[in-house]
Amino acid sequence: MSVTDRALLSTALLAALPGIAPAQELNALVWCDHTDPALVEPFEEAHGVTVNLREYEGTGAALAMLEQSQPGDWDVLVIDSIDVPRVVDAGLMAELPADQLPLGDLFPEVVMADSTTRDGRIYAVTEKFGYNTVSFNSDAVDPADMQDMSKILSDKYAGRVAIYDYYLPVMGLAAVNLGLNTADLTEADLPALRDELLRMKSLASSVGEVTASQTALATGEADIVIGGGEWLTAGLAGEQPELTWTIPDKGAVRWAQSIGVLADSQNKDLATEFVKYILSPEGQARLATSSCYWGMPANRKAGDILTGEQKATLRWDEQDDYLARAQLYPAPDADLDARMQDVWLEMLQQ
Amino acid sequence: MSDTGRGWGFVAPALLWTVGLFVVPFAVMAAMSLARLEGRDLVWGVDWGNYAQLAKPQIARAVLVSLEITLTVTAVSVLLAYPLAAIIAFRVPPRWQRLALLLAVLPFWTSYVVRSYSWLLVLSKQGVVNQALLGLGLVAEPLTLANTRFATVTGFVHFFTMLLTLTIYANLMQLPRNYARAAQDLGANGWQTFRHVILPLTLPGVVTGAFLTFVLCIGDYVTPQILGGNNELSLPQVIMVQLGRRADFPLASALSIVLMGLVMLAYLLCARWLRLDRV
Amino acid sequence: MTRLLAWLYLLLAYGFILLPVGALVLFSFQDGRLPVPPFQGVSLRWYADVLGDRDLMAALLNSALVASGSSAVACALGFLAAYGLARHVLPGAALLRAILVLPLAVSTLIVGLGLLIVASRLGVGLSLWTAGMGHVVINLPLCFAILYASMGDQQRNAERAARDLGASEGQVIRLVTVPMLRPALVAAFFLSVTLSWDEFIVSFLLTRFDVTLPVEIWSMLRSGLSPRLNAIGSLVFLVSIAVVAAVELVLRPGRRP
Repeated sequence: MSVTDRALLSTALLAALPGIAPAQELNALVWCDHTDPALVEPFEEAHGVTVNLREYEGTGAALAMLEQSQPGDWDVLVIDSIDVPRVVDAGLMAELPADQLPLGDLFPEVVMADSTTRDGRIYAVTEKFGYNTVSFNSDAVDPADMQDMSKILSDKYAGRVAIYDYYLPVMGLAAVNLGLNTADLTEADLPALRDELLRMKSLASSVGEVTASQTALATGEADIVIGGGEWLTAGLAGEQPELTWTIPDKGAVRWAQSIGVLADSQNKDLATEFVKYILSPEGQARLATSSCYWGMPANRKAGDILTGEQKATLRWDEQDDYLARAQLYPAPDADLDARMQDVWLEMLQQ
Repeated sequence: MSDTGRGWGFVAPALLWTVGLFVVPFAVMAAMSLARLEGRDLVWGVDWGNYAQLAKPQIARAVLVSLEITLTVTAVSVLLAYPLAAIIAFRVPPRWQRLALLLAVLPFWTSYVVRSYSWLLVLSKQGVVNQALLGLGLVAEPLTLANTRFATVTGFVHFFTMLLTLTIYANLMQLPRNYARAAQDLGANGWQTFRHVILPLTLPGVVTGAFLTFVLCIGDYVTPQILGGNNELSLPQVIMVQLGRRADFPLASALSIVLMGLVMLAYLLCARWLRLDRV
Repeated sequence: MTRLLAWLYLLLAYGFILLPVGALVLFSFQDGRLPVPPFQGVSLRWYADVLGDRDLMAALLNSALVASGSSAVACALGFLAAYGLARHVLPGAALLRAILVLPLAVSTLIVGLGLLIVASRLGVGLSLWTAGMGHVVINLPLCFAILYASMGDQQRNAERAARDLGASEGQVIRLVTVPMLRPALVAAFFLSVTLSWDEFIVSFLLTRFDVTLPVEIWSMLRSGLSPRLNAIGSLVFLVSIAVVAAVELVLRPGRRP
């Protein structure tokens, strides 16, 4: 059988299988904010393509999905900026064309060149950021208490606390509260972190993912969400202005997510176009206010498109102060990561 | 072609399907349970380390949580379903029995995932039960019902009470009516008739239903995940954590084998009364 | 007295069983953002919302395809195996029967995990096809058991008569066995469709972009309480009841319950 015959046959076979169209589909592995049709549909229409999105709930889950896939299955990856070195080390990411990206427009604090570049090459770009801190219902708690984690973790709020189910930011928050540096955590810090987590758990009514935490707060199932932030309450601000967030005096944790193209992608040009769209002021404004969760756009130019109300909800003008007071997520190596997950599972099981 | 040869021809497709897509994957999973992860690389071999993880408190607790929940659910469901099936079989006039039974299993026809979700509507802080209690002035503060083991057990009991009502009703209807009448003629009162005649005759059916409940309940991921609020994790939830967050297939496989071991244990314990061919 | 207690028990039991479904359906009409009391008035907007949801409607179609396709395969394979084992003498028949019903005895989580491991080892991409194959594994034992149990002597005599009259085995199966087994085949098919329609964990593990309805509902569910979930749940409920009623009419012609 000649090569052409084989190519024709496989094309015919592919076309016959539902769900596997032959051309121009982009497969992206993302946090849930990218699944908002308002964000993706303009790109699909402009390029006449389909973007398949699969959401995950943490870097571990994303890596698991990549491992279970074949090379070329995925084109675009959204991943926490702090974890970019892990995927770059694994050889998963493709280099991005720096000259086509609006790098100069990003907030300088969130570029995180240490993570996103290697030997002068760019492998991912920060697209959105925010804080893992404390969200609360200001009608139900004393807002002054929320400035001090030890007041939150007291019997006064027993059973009224929910914990965001992602070990990295919440353990980071626990570290900040213990006066530790999130970037320098080692195994020696785990016992203290564990005690802090168990204290949180003893007061908590539930532990839930992004959207479950939002609902817990919105429905009064919980009055405080540890690990929450603008991503938890901003989308609800219009209807429930009493739901808000703050950064305690001791500080909080900053999250940042990056977008990049996978090295094995068969659609690198289209994938790069998608990255460029997401980083454009329009894409950034839509991403910042996406239905799953809000967050600050990494590109300052999005400020020209966001409404005054949206910027107020995102606390655009207070970012300088916030950026100064927040530390980054912990970025453990594989061994410490496994130990941290063990501690997290232990916390869940208490 | 010989008779036997033709017979093989008929059985072969189903047999190949089951062996190829169940027996072989199961064997691969068993082999996987003895492999281990080094960093992110899979190392095949015979390593009992995954099973040794059962000694870790967070894993051991998952086994315990699963067993406690499943045994509670099985016992409560049987205790709730038996009287319900008996009332439908003996008190409800025959012409209404079909309708009565249909009503008793109506929620079967909602989607399985939705059924657990609908309990959230009932049990959450703003849910039906709490609003009713608050409205009646019976409680001052809403009770914490959702996101607890109580919620998980309630969701399970709801489903399995329906299932067991069906199986026990079928059993009761197969009883020859004159047995009970004979016992009464011999002077037995209602309780004695039940204790010495009806219960022993329906026991195999009850045990079969209870075993089915045990198997389905202990392997379920959805109900505790929706209703338990992550306050404690059952064995299937811990398996899914290993799969979803860590891609630790070896440990997930080992824990699945443990899960199957628990089912086998239950099977051996009630094998005496089981009539699986009559389900 | 016991009579009164019995009726009271019946009432309470129905209350317990029907309460969540009642809440589900009632609050699917909620004119507000949360499907919990107080009931704020009747609105159909959540139904409009759900019916206009592209992903949800695609998932609905996917579920229908996977359920009917996998059930048809499971019934066909189950029928052939039941016929082979009931009508031919095979060595080790008891062992064969045991292997065929084996998947019934393990949790579907284990079936799904085994297939997931093999698929990722072999480099088979996950899709509705892999999920459908998993559904056949789960449904085949039931179809086989139902059909094997209904291959009684009555059919055997009719089949023998047909053979004596010169029919080939293929003709016998087509013209005698299948028509006589029609009720059992329909029952097995619809039981299988019901289970496949509702199956979650295998579909969850073995699909990627195109998912079945329970998996789509699952991802909606992570957003917690929403009248949209009530609306899709109520729709599924109504459709299922309609299908059950239709099957009831097909299987019991001329009999009124």
